[in-house]
Amino acid sequence: MSESKSLSDMAPKRRRMMDMVLALGGLKEEAVIPLSKVSEEIANLKTELEPLAAEILAFPDAYFEQFLEATESSDIISRIADRGLLKQAISHLQEAVSIRDTESTRGLLTSINTRSETLEGTDDIEEIDTAVDIDSLLSPVSELITQIETVITGYETNAKSAAEEASSELETLVASISEAVSGIQDDPASALDALQKLGTKTRYGPFLRTTAQVKRGIREGRIDETRALQLVSENIMLELRRGVIIFILGKMGSRTVLEISHLMNARSSDIQTAIVSMIQRGEVEMVGLDEDAPVFSRVLEAIPASTLVFKRILQQLNGMGKSLEGDTKSSVVDSVKRMEPLLGRLQKIGQYDETVLAESMNNLRETVDQATEAVLQSSPADSSEDLRLLVSAGLEAFARFRLKITLEKGPNLVSGTNVYGEKLDPEVYERMMSSYLDNELERGTILILIRELGAMTAKDLGEKTSIPKNRILQHLLRMKRDELLTSPGESHGYLLYDVPRTPTEAELTIETASSLALQLTEASSEFESLLQDLKAEDIGKVANALETLSKGRDTLIKITIEGNVVGEDILTGIEEKIRSAVSLAYRTRAKIPSTRPKVTLDDLAEVDVPSVLDEYKAMMGYAPLLGFGTIDWNLSKCLGCKSCEISCPEDAIELKPVVEVSKFFDISDEELDSLPVNRALFYRTVKGLAAQKPVGDIVLTDDSPGFGTVEVDLWLCVACRTCVRRCPGPDEGALELELKWNLPEVVRQITSQN
Amino acid sequence: MKLDYEFLEAEVKKLDLAGSVTLHDLGCQDSGLEAIAKLIDENEARLVVAACTSQKIQPRIDQYLQSQGKDPSRITYVNIREHSAWVHNDPSEASKKSLDMIRGALARSVDSTSIVSEMKEVPAHVTVIGGGIAGVEAALSLSNLGYHVTLVERESSVGGHVVQLPVVAPTGKSGKEVFSGRLNALENDKNIDVMTDTTVKFVEGELGSFTLHYNIPDDEDEKTLQTSAVVLATGFQEFKPTMMDEYQYGKNPNVVTQLELSRMLTEGNMVRPSDGKPVNEVIMVQCVGSRSEDYKRDCSKLCCTFAIDNSLEILERNPDTNVQVVYMDIRVPFENEMIYKESRERGVDYIRGRVSMVWESDDETHVRIYDSLLNQYLESTPDLVVLSSAILPSDGVAELSETLGYTLEEDGHIKELYGKLRRTETRRRGVVAVGAITRPQFVFEAVTDAQAAALVLHNELQGGKIEKVARGAVLDVDDCVGCSLCAQQCPRGVPLMIEQTDAEEEDEAQKILFKAAIDILNCHSCGVCQSLCPSGATQLNFLSNSQLWSEIEAVLNEADSEYPITVCFYCEECSVSTIDIVGTRKMEYPASSRLIPVPCAGRVSIIDILKAFEHGASTVMIAACETDRCHIGGTGNEIAQVQVDVTRDILNAIGWKGERVDMFRMFSAEPDRFTSAIREMVKRAQELGPTPVHKGTAGKWMEVTE
Repeated sequence: MSESKSLSDMAPKRRRMMDMVLALGGLKEEAVIPLSKVSEEIANLKTELEPLAAEILAFPDAYFEQFLEATESSDIISRIADRGLLKQAISHLQEAVSIRDTESTRGLLTSINTRSETLEGTDDIEEIDTAVDIDSLLSPVSELITQIETVITGYETNAKSAAEEASSELETLVASISEAVSGIQDDPASALDALQKLGTKTRYGPFLRTTAQVKRGIREGRIDETRALQLVSENIMLELRRGVIIFILGKMGSRTVLEISHLMNARSSDIQTAIVSMIQRGEVEMVGLDEDAPVFSRVLEAIPASTLVFKRILQQLNGMGKSLEGDTKSSVVDSVKRMEPLLGRLQKIGQYDETVLAESMNNLRETVDQATEAVLQSSPADSSEDLRLLVSAGLEAFARFRLKITLEKGPNLVSGTNVYGEKLDPEVYERMMSSYLDNELERGTILILIRELGAMTAKDLGEKTSIPKNRILQHLLRMKRDELLTSPGESHGYLLYDVPRTPTEAELTIETASSLALQLTEASSEFESLLQDLKAEDIGKVANALETLSKGRDTLIKITIEGNVVGEDILTGIEEKIRSAVSLAYRTRAKIPSTRPKVTLDDLAEVDVPSVLDEYKAMMGYAPLLGFGTIDWNLSKCLGCKSCEISCPEDAIELKPVVEVSKFFDISDEELDSLPVNRALFYRTVKGLAAQKPVGDIVLTDDSPGFGTVEVDLWLCVACRTCVRRCPGPDEGALELELKWNLPEVVRQITSQN
Repeated sequence: MKLDYEFLEAEVKKLDLAGSVTLHDLGCQDSGLEAIAKLIDENEARLVVAACTSQKIQPRIDQYLQSQGKDPSRITYVNIREHSAWVHNDPSEASKKSLDMIRGALARSVDSTSIVSEMKEVPAHVTVIGGGIAGVEAALSLSNLGYHVTLVERESSVGGHVVQLPVVAPTGKSGKEVFSGRLNALENDKNIDVMTDTTVKFVEGELGSFTLHYNIPDDEDEKTLQTSAVVLATGFQEFKPTMMDEYQYGKNPNVVTQLELSRMLTEGNMVRPSDGKPVNEVIMVQCVGSRSEDYKRDCSKLCCTFAIDNSLEILERNPDTNVQVVYMDIRVPFENEMIYKESRERGVDYIRGRVSMVWESDDETHVRIYDSLLNQYLESTPDLVVLSSAILPSDGVAELSETLGYTLEEDGHIKELYGKLRRTETRRRGVVAVGAITRPQFVFEAVTDAQAAALVLHNELQGGKIEKVARGAVLDVDDCVGCSLCAQQCPRGVPLMIEQTDAEEEDEAQKILFKAAIDILNCHSCGVCQSLCPSGATQLNFLSNSQLWSEIEAVLNEADSEYPITVCFYCEECSVSTIDIVGTRKMEYPASSRLIPVPCAGRVSIIDILKAFEHGASTVMIAACETDRCHIGGTGNEIAQVQVDVTRDILNAIGWKGERVDMFRMFSAEPDRFTSAIREMVKRAQELGPTPVHKGTAGKWMEVTE
């Protein structure tokens, strides 16, 4: 029975019936599996798994022991600066320890905890020695920029070679498309099929949806031929064009319209139209200029944090430049000038491997941060921490464009007028400015706190600052939208906010390892407990637990500390064993199609259904079915009145819009005489007009009162006989119920229907 | 463009069915009418009038004969002017067509029955359910028309929602003022009984004798009341948005609905409900529940105006109040635009956007508003949040429909019979619906509605005399097999299926037995039931099956493939108007067409179509009203479509060409659509050649070997 696989997808009524059949004894599946056979299979699996189990269960602990050693010897944990990440790791490990407390996980937890506490301890920002030489602080900047430039050039080379690979794929695609297009005029439907196949390669959702809709419309006859032709040659082609553009931008990098039209061998005006609509759909954005031509790129789901960091450094430098003088100023301005095109190039590349960039990017960030601190040193040494924070917040705010514009424009508006001749009321301006300043200073404070103290929730910020909570939330949301903040996770149900940071290799390692520690602990403890008393219904859980262990191993082998794979021998040693355990579990699962007890059809012949109905009700919690039966329908007595369908309490009987017209000619004269007069007259008139006997049935598009074929869904029928009693047809009516308590007979009928 | 009358006279005289033939130049003038009256006397009132359109001549003849005390109901009309003489160039062809159609009318006339319209005295009493502005207005109008009226109101006093309004746009008067005149009239009107605190349970019966079952307080027994017609004026109810968590309605006392604010204003109680402090800042939220897929899909039409009315009233009382209206679109119909302008001038602040949440802290109500024009979130701490919530039909409308038999719209309002011409009527004769129960309505609309409905009822009741027997479907209970097709498909829901419990007890096969019951007073004579009835149990009393079949046979006398004939069944609603316009505009079309009138396209059954082919028609068409515009009640044309579709498929299956039959829809003044339709069918008749009937192969299916 194919139904058993989708027991949960069935209509409720059908499922209820299925439940009953299963509960009463079970159904014959592809092969009958007696209960004894099931237990045998399970026993086999247990014997086969047992020798493997010990090692499989031991491997996570063994691995994390080595991992702990490696972290201690390399001191990688002390290199982690991201508090949000640490918090996340701690919570993962705590959960793992609560499931199974092993030395290795606890050790890892302790060292991460220590690191986290150390970082918390540095809450008080160290006093910086007075009078720092800003010039010397900034001196490494130029070198760092050169480093970054080299990395970016590397990215571009990679992207270029990837683009070359993609271009041959593209050529084939474009060629096949133009072939398919040539067939549109003759046969839009099959051209549509061909296009759909090609378009699938672009994985462009709107194209796939539109094609499916049009196909359905054509199939259901809602779209006529001319309309279909028009839709295929215009709308579908437009969507396809968009799909190919996404393909190009995704695989070959950002491009101008001309480049795309050249690649696609299409008119540039078509591409232009497509791009404009894609911008509106939020799929494509303009990322820069090539000469005068705009360069477009896909809208990325998330901009790499490093790009955001780079952008922020640039803004910071820009802001700093304003408050400096002389050579220092010009060197900062130079750096800014060099960085601006680099930012453009990064944006054009889109996604890239951030770790390569991490070291130089973080160095640059630290340098620039220190320089910013140094610039702040103009404040007296005895100033309070709050004041220092406020001033840096102000600087932070000034580094951004928003406030600058307001500050520059405001006074002009108060003294003069704007282009519309409106004038700003000084009082309003004052109010506006003070609220602006408040806002910007608050935002600056939040940013600085997060940058220095790590990811924070709105609640943490509320405790650390005096800003009202709802305003904090407002600021956080606003800054998240402006890409100044990201939200890396949750802490105690609050959303964590963080400034974009480039994760270092150490951070990535700890993040992955801690989350895997949890997964593996969960899986192995489940596997262990299942194995103790292996039951047929747990087979799925066993397979899933083993699958998790196997996938975890595959991820662990990719983790390196200082270039070395940790616990390589453990992981390779276990590889084969896990894999065979997984396939053993799957194989056994395949042998047991369902975990319910099975009996043969022959066994069922002995079941006295009425006698077990009470038991059934007690077991299932709802009333039993009234019985089973088959319903025969006799066209020659049917009036097509739908009374059976209307009266059926279970929606099991239906008048289908199909006219078995050839059977009209088999109705005997006696039968005609017993029919109501007009019904008989109708059949007689049809026969009297017929020049040939019809072959086949008439399929009507809609329900037509008076005409149709009665069909019974035996899955739903409860043999209540209401339809038979209601049928107004002549004599006993057009329907006849044959009650059957012989379950195998019913099953046979049901299965032969499918 | 004329007919050969000598030929017609001579040929008709030859027909067995025609007793005598009289040619008269001025049938509709006094001399003609006198001649007709004479012929009626001589021929047991059976007469065929072949003249101009019956739309013009029939009312005249009817009036004349009725004034003479004679029966005009057995006259059969043939239109040989607009349907023949004026539309065909060749007089001999047109005369032949006219002759065929006269022959058909003669055949139809044979079995014509006399439909005597007797008057039945009914009580001149109408019950109005609902004592709001619409109900009171309807009661007063009916009383003025001479009816005795019972006004039933669920609440303890009449006035409904209107008396709660502080100001009614655009009058500037308060709801109480608007109502006061009517209230006085109501008190002084001896013809109106007002029953307050009364709940209607259900109403049964038919026009002229409805029985209203109702309850009064402190008495558990159900009371009944006899009445001749029912006015439904149960109005609307305001949606209570307690389940919309974002507004805190029902949890925060300072969040009220617009109607609750109206009540506060009317009662002069404009303070914060939570603590009685003054209200200085008000935020109104529009479209709460309206225009939402989850609650009410449509616009509620009134709320924008209500909100503006109330905000102006607030400013009137305390000009320093700050009123902000958060809206999606402001929709103020009619002259209410003026008060919208006024409100802007008076400083009401309009914010386009939505309220994202309402919460409380420090004893303040906080509101966060998303301003979609500024793309910004604003926050405010108003004293009062007013929700303009959706307007829904009042409770109990669906329950009453079970026995009163009117239909409901998807949104629960009562469905009007026909949007253009029969706005206040429901599907049930003698039941009208007025005011906000049919759709959200402004005060003046509800008043107009009520006045119109009073006149509609007056037309039906005629001061207490209704037609007892009318044109319509008559059921022969003995022939009814109980299949319920008529009850399922009747556009008016007239046939009721009655379970035959006595017969069931005796039935050996435990059959569930039903018989239909048709109340002819509610019937609008479309003939859908007749077309579908498998046993011929229900038939129109002016067009029985045998009448139509003999007309078909007579019209198609000697039809052959030499001169292929196209039969056109046309409905006597939109199609006849269109075909008459074709005639008066003298638009030519082929004369091989033969027109047969039916009251509604739904009267044409598959057997009728097949009969036409059996008697030699080459093509058959049905002319019907446009989709959704079936005047008889909405679905007659669709039933006809089913007959045509099935005939077509069957013809194809039995070796005919399905294109020989088709259906065409037209509005009442689209002559081009009719002429192109009939040209198409005549063209098909010529192109498809002889039918199996002409060739003699029809019925010879047994001899065909594949």
